Amino acid sequence: MIDLQGYGPRLIEGAGVTIQLAVLSLILAIILGLLTASAKMSRNWLAHRLATLYTTLIRGVPDLVLMMLFFFGGQIGVNMITDWIYYSFDIDIFININAFVAGVVTIGLIFGAYMGETFRGAFMAVDNGQIEAGKAYGMSDGLVFRRVRFPQMMRHALPGLSNNWMVLLKTTALVSVIGLSDMVRVASEASKATREPFTFMIIVALIYLLIASVSEWIFARLQKRYNIGYGEAD
Amino acid sequence: MAATPTPLEVRNIKKRFGDTEVLKGLSLQAQKGDVITLIGASGSGKSTFLRCMNLLEQPDDGDLIVHGEPIRFKTTKHGREPEDWKQVVQMRAKLSMVFQSFNLWAHMTLLENIIEAPIHVLKKPKKEALEHAHALLDRVGLTARANAYPAQMSGGQQQRGAIARALAMDPEVMLFDEPTSALDPELVGDVLKVMHDLAEEGRTMVVVTHEMGFARDVSSQVIYLHQGLVEEAGPPDQVLGNPQSPRLQQFLAPNY
Repeated sequence: MIDLQGYGPRLIEGAGVTIQLAVLSLILAIILGLLTASAKMSRNWLAHRLATLYTTLIRGVPDLVLMMLFFFGGQIGVNMITDWIYYSFDIDIFININAFVAGVVTIGLIFGAYMGETFRGAFMAVDNGQIEAGKAYGMSDGLVFRRVRFPQMMRHALPGLSNNWMVLLKTTALVSVIGLSDMVRVASEASKATREPFTFMIIVALIYLLIASVSEWIFARLQKRYNIGYGEAD
Repeated sequence: MAATPTPLEVRNIKKRFGDTEVLKGLSLQAQKGDVITLIGASGSGKSTFLRCMNLLEQPDDGDLIVHGEPIRFKTTKHGREPEDWKQVVQMRAKLSMVFQSFNLWAHMTLLENIIEAPIHVLKKPKKEALEHAHALLDRVGLTARANAYPAQMSGGQQQRGAIARALAMDPEVMLFDEPTSALDPELVGDVLKVMHDLAEEGRTMVVVTHEMGFARDVSSQVIYLHQGLVEEAGPPDQVLGNPQSPRLQQFLAPNY
């Protein structure tokens, strides 16, 4: 049997951090992605420009660089603001940027940009006649979105969404550089202490693989649900 | 205002796409029980005119009065727009449209399609909506297909289902946009028969069609459009039986 030399509980904790980080980032990324897609499709000039700037910026800079910029740069920014408040109003505030929050925000921001493009393509793939039918039957824009556009868009978005999720899941490994104890960091600490890197890395790889397999199963079920009515459910 | 307001009145509708003026001032008045058919060559503007009636297209000029209530417009930098979209949404719920390509919602069964707008737009209780839907399915001969998805149905079935969906709204006026043009010839008859029955029971309808037989038998008024203008209008035996303009004569002439 593999001897974890007492690191088992910490590895499980690390896996928990990885999963929480990934799921929260995914939620943020989906929200940002929907907003970005809407902005890019809107005829509002400013919204369109801002969304384009966002996707260009995020997609053009490496994830690791962004993460360090947000974490360290964010702390410097916050300190500057609190210093200014202290000197101006004599109120002493100290805000410490939490590594977990920074991780969620960074990964969410990065993948929001990719999701934006996934959703935009998916929205454009919805037949306009389906939307017109909603309008013609007295549905408000919000109702058309909820009852027609969103469910029909999801069918087109899911393959891209599941792809993004897999990449996102593995990107969470980067948060170890900002000091968050995700499972990669725990494993690397354990490797150094025990001088058995292979044991711990193989376990981490297997856990990632397990999470990925479960997600694939979930996405397959979602795909089936959103394919209803299109006769190609498998 | 009269005891029963005119269900639908449009006055002097104008519409341009870029440099092309497709509607050059069209008017129409549908009284209760009227069946008005719009005929004309493709490009004459008849579908655009119909789509201006429920504001799927925004007319650049003209008035739209539904059940005695004029729709208010304002001018923005994007052109003329309704002042109050809530008013438009309420107006649309009174007019239901049947499309050339059916446009049944693909992710819902036929039954779900029919109860969708009554429940979410008219706020009908589900039980009542379902009862009405089953009665309508029976009426268009689709009881057996209640739980089928649009993709599993033939074009004729989809269009009859779409008519049931339109009827579920208890509409003031039904708008038909070339309802049989996308159908195989052998399926056209079933759809026309349903429309024929609707006309006989006194439904107010505005129909864009190429089916001259339907126009002749059912209409109270036929309007022949040519390049965005009314070329001839009147009762069918006059417009179709004794056309005055050479263009309409040519349009109606059998072509081999």
